[in-house]
Amino acid sequence: MPLFRHPRFLLPLLACACAAAAAAEPPRRIVSLNLCSDQLLLELVAPERIASLTWLSRTDGEPALRVLAARLPSNRGSAEEVLAARPDLVLAGRYTTSTTRALLRRVGIPMLEIDAVQDWEGIRRVTREVAAAVGEVARGEALIAQMDAQLATTATLRVSTPVRAIGWSGAAEDVPGRDTLFDTILTTAGAVNIAAQPVGGSGFDLERVLRQRPRLLLRGTAHDGDRAVRSWAANHHVLQALPGLSVLEYSEGAWACGVPRAAAHALELARALRALPEPAQ
Amino acid sequence: MIPLAARGLVVRREGSEILRGIDLDAQGGEFIAVIGANGAGKSTLLAALAGLLRIDAGEVLLDQRPLADIAPRDLAQLRAWLPQNPRAEWPLSVERMVALGLGPRLRGFGEAGPEEQARIATVLADTDLIALRARAVTTLSGGELARAMLARALVADPAVLIVDEPLAGLDPQHAWDAARRMRALAVEQGRLVIASIHDLNIALRRATRVWALHEGRLLADGPPATTITAALLGELFGMRAEIRGSGSSAYVDFAP
Amino acid sequence: MKSITGLNAKLALLLVVLALLSLLPGRAGWLLPWNLQGNDAELARLIFWELRIPRLLLALLVGAALGLAGAVLQGLTRNPLAEPGLLGVSSGAAFGAVLAIYTGLGAAFALAIPLLGFTGALLGTMLTLALGAGGGVLSLILAGAAVSGLLLAGTALVLNLAPNPYAAYEISHWMMGSLADRGWAQLFLAAPFVFAGIGVLFTTGRALDALSLGEQQAASLGVDLARLRRQVVVGTALAVGGATAVTGTIGFIGLLAPHLVRAAVGHEPRRVLWPAALAGALLLLAADVATRLLPLAQELKLGVLTGLIGSPFFLWLVWRMKARSP
Repeated sequence: MPLFRHPRFLLPLLACACAAAAAAEPPRRIVSLNLCSDQLLLELVAPERIASLTWLSRTDGEPALRVLAARLPSNRGSAEEVLAARPDLVLAGRYTTSTTRALLRRVGIPMLEIDAVQDWEGIRRVTREVAAAVGEVARGEALIAQMDAQLATTATLRVSTPVRAIGWSGAAEDVPGRDTLFDTILTTAGAVNIAAQPVGGSGFDLERVLRQRPRLLLRGTAHDGDRAVRSWAANHHVLQALPGLSVLEYSEGAWACGVPRAAAHALELARALRALPEPAQ
Repeated sequence: MIPLAARGLVVRREGSEILRGIDLDAQGGEFIAVIGANGAGKSTLLAALAGLLRIDAGEVLLDQRPLADIAPRDLAQLRAWLPQNPRAEWPLSVERMVALGLGPRLRGFGEAGPEEQARIATVLADTDLIALRARAVTTLSGGELARAMLARALVADPAVLIVDEPLAGLDPQHAWDAARRMRALAVEQGRLVIASIHDLNIALRRATRVWALHEGRLLADGPPATTITAALLGELFGMRAEIRGSGSSAYVDFAP
Repeated sequence: MKSITGLNAKLALLLVVLALLSLLPGRAGWLLPWNLQGNDAELARLIFWELRIPRLLLALLVGAALGLAGAVLQGLTRNPLAEPGLLGVSSGAAFGAVLAIYTGLGAAFALAIPLLGFTGALLGTMLTLALGAGGGVLSLILAGAAVSGLLLAGTALVLNLAPNPYAAYEISHWMMGSLADRGWAQLFLAAPFVFAGIGVLFTTGRALDALSLGEQQAASLGVDLARLRRQVVVGTALAVGGATAVTGTIGFIGLLAPHLVRAAVGHEPRRVLWPAALAGALLLLAADVATRLLPLAQELKLGVLTGLIGSPFFLWLVWRMKARSP
C-alpha cells in the first residue's frame, strides 16, 4: 500500500535539499529510519556519510549488505537516537512514528519520506529522489542502469509458460497478494502469483494453497528462521509429500524493499524457474 | 465393641492450648454427650478423637492402637465423623450422597454392588429417608438433612460415631428424635456414639454418659444423673442453674 | 447407573458422526470423496491424511483434555466457575510455550515446547490454587485473574525481548488459538503429555466424590487431600500444558462441557468426568468445523470463537450464582 505523501511538505524540502546538494555540501550525516531506505543508502553513499541505520538491516535486509550494515551505528527508530546522531538528513518510511516526524519538523532537520513502491517505475522514481537528496545523482543513475540491464536479462531468461507460484511462510495472513513488490518480482521472472488472483476471500491456509496446485512455493525466511510459531506450518510434512511441488526460500526483508537490487532477485528467480524439475503428468 | 481412649491429649493452636491434657476411656454401647461452653474445646476434642487433627502431645488409641498407626482408609471404616452443619456441595440425590459413605469400601472404579445397594436401602429405612431417596440434598429441610448425613455416616457400619453438634438448628421434635436414634445406635447396636450437645435436657435424659469440658480440661465424667449438677453447670457456664424434678423427668432450669 | 452408560454411549456416537462429517469441509472447499478423479484424488488423499485427519485427532484430544480438566477443577474447588482458562493454567502454558519458541529452545529441541508449556501451566495452577482456594466462590476466580495477568505480563516480556522483531505480531495470532495447518508432527508432540494428563486426571474421581461433602468429611473418609491436589495440579498441567503448546490458548471448553453434562449425571463429580471429556471433544470439534464454514474473509480463530460463545455463558453463570446466593 503506497504511503501517503505530503507534497506540500516534501517539495520545498526536496527543493531545499536539492539546492543544498547542488550549491553546498551534500549531507554528511544521514540517518535512515526504515529498512528499505537503509538498503538504498548503503548502495548510494559511502559508509562514512551514514550516521545511523535501523537495526533491521543487520538481520533482515539484503544478505549481501548485512555485513556492511553491522559495522555502522544502528538505531531503533526512536527520536532520541535520531537527535543524538546529529543528522543533516533523515530518511523515513511508512512505519516511522508521527511523533518522531513531528519532532524532526520542529527541530528543523530535513527529512525525506520514502514511498513503498511495488513496481520498477516506482523504484526508479524513488531511487532518483533519494539520490538527489543525498547528492549522489550519478550513482543513482548507475544503480538504475544496472537494474535495467538485469531486467533485460531476466526478460530473455523468462520461461515461456508462467509457473504457478505462491509465497507461503506458515501464516495464512501473510501470503503476499497483488499490488506487492513480491508480485512484481514473480511476474517479471516468469511466474504467476496465485494469491494475486482473488479466489474468494483472503487468507490462504495450507489447504487452500495446495488446492491451487502451485508448482513453486516460496517460503519466506525472517532472520530468525525457526524461532517463530509459523515455522511449524511452514515446514509442514505435506509440502514434502506433494509431488510436483518445489520449495525455495527467499529473504522476506530483502524482497520487500523497492530498491534497484530487487531486479537481482527477479533475475535469480527467473534462473530458478528455468531449473525447476518438469511437472509430472 | 471397640474401645477408644485418650492419654494426656494436648492440642495447641497459634500458641494457646486448646486441649490441656485429656485422659478418657470409652467403649461401644455408650452414648456420650460432650457438654461445655462455646470455645471450651468440644469440636477440637471430637476432631482429635476422630484422628483429623494434628496432636501436640499424648495420643488417641482406637482398639488399643494409636490413631497415627492406622491407615486413613482403615480408620474410615472403623469410625465415622460428622462436622457441625454438614453440607453437600453439589445437589446430589440423598441416595447417592449416602452412598459416598461407602467410599472407603469400594475399590478402583467399581460401582456399588448389590450388597452395597442393600446396605444403603437399610440405612435409608432406618433413618426414615426412603421416601426422600431421590430428592436433591440441597432441597432438604434441616431435620431431613441431619438424618441424611447420619445415614451417610452409618452406611459404612462404623463401630464409632463421632458427631459435632448434631442437634444444632433442629426443632424440638427433630432434636429429640435424633437423640433417640443416637441412643439406640449405642445401646441397641453396640456402637460408641460421642456427640457434642448444647441441649442439656437431652443430655440429661438420653445420654448414657457425660463429658464436661471446661477451658480445655475434662471437668467431669460420669452418668448424666449424677454428673450434671447445679455446681457443675455453674462452673461450666457461669450461670446459676438448678436441676428440678428427678429421675426420667429431671430437667435443667437456668436462672439468668 | 444405566443412565450414565447411556449418556456416554450417546455422546460417543454423536462424536463419531461429527468426526466423520468434519472431514468433509475445509476453507478451500469440500472434499467429497465421490467427486474426485485422477490428480485431484491424489491431492485430496494427501490433504486428507496430512491435514484433515491430524486436525480432527488434535481437536478430539485437546477438546477431551480441556473438558476433563474443567470437570476435575470444578470438582476440586466445588465451584462450577472453575476452568483452566480462568485459573491461570492456559496463560501459564502459553507463557511456557512462548518462552520455548522465542528463545530458540523449541527449534533446537521440539519437545521443549510442550515441556515448557507443562511447566508454565504447573506454575499457573499452583499459584492460583495457593492464592484462591479456601476463599469464597469468587475468590478463586479473582486469584485466577491475577495469576493470568501476571503470566500474560511475563509473556509480553518474552516477546518484548525476543530477537525476532515480528514476535509480538505473530504471537497475537497464535494466542487466539487455532487448529489450522497443524499436522502429525504437532499431534505426536502434544499427545504424550495430553494422554498422561488425562490418565492422571481420571484417577481423581473417587476422591472428588468424597470432596462433595466438604474437605473435613472427605478427610474422615480417608481421602488424602494433599495427594489429590497434587494429582489435579499435575494432571491439569500435563493435559492443558501439552495441548496449549500446540494450539495456542483455547478457553471456555473446560467451563462449558462439564456444565452441559452435570445435571444428566446427578451432579456427582466422578460421573461427570467421562461425559465432560466427550462433551469437550464434541464442542471443540464443532467449533473447529464452524471456523471452517463461516464465510468470513479470514478464518475465525478457534479461541476467538470459543471466547465469543463462552464469555456470555460465563457471565450468565456468575449472575445466576449471585442471584441464588444469600
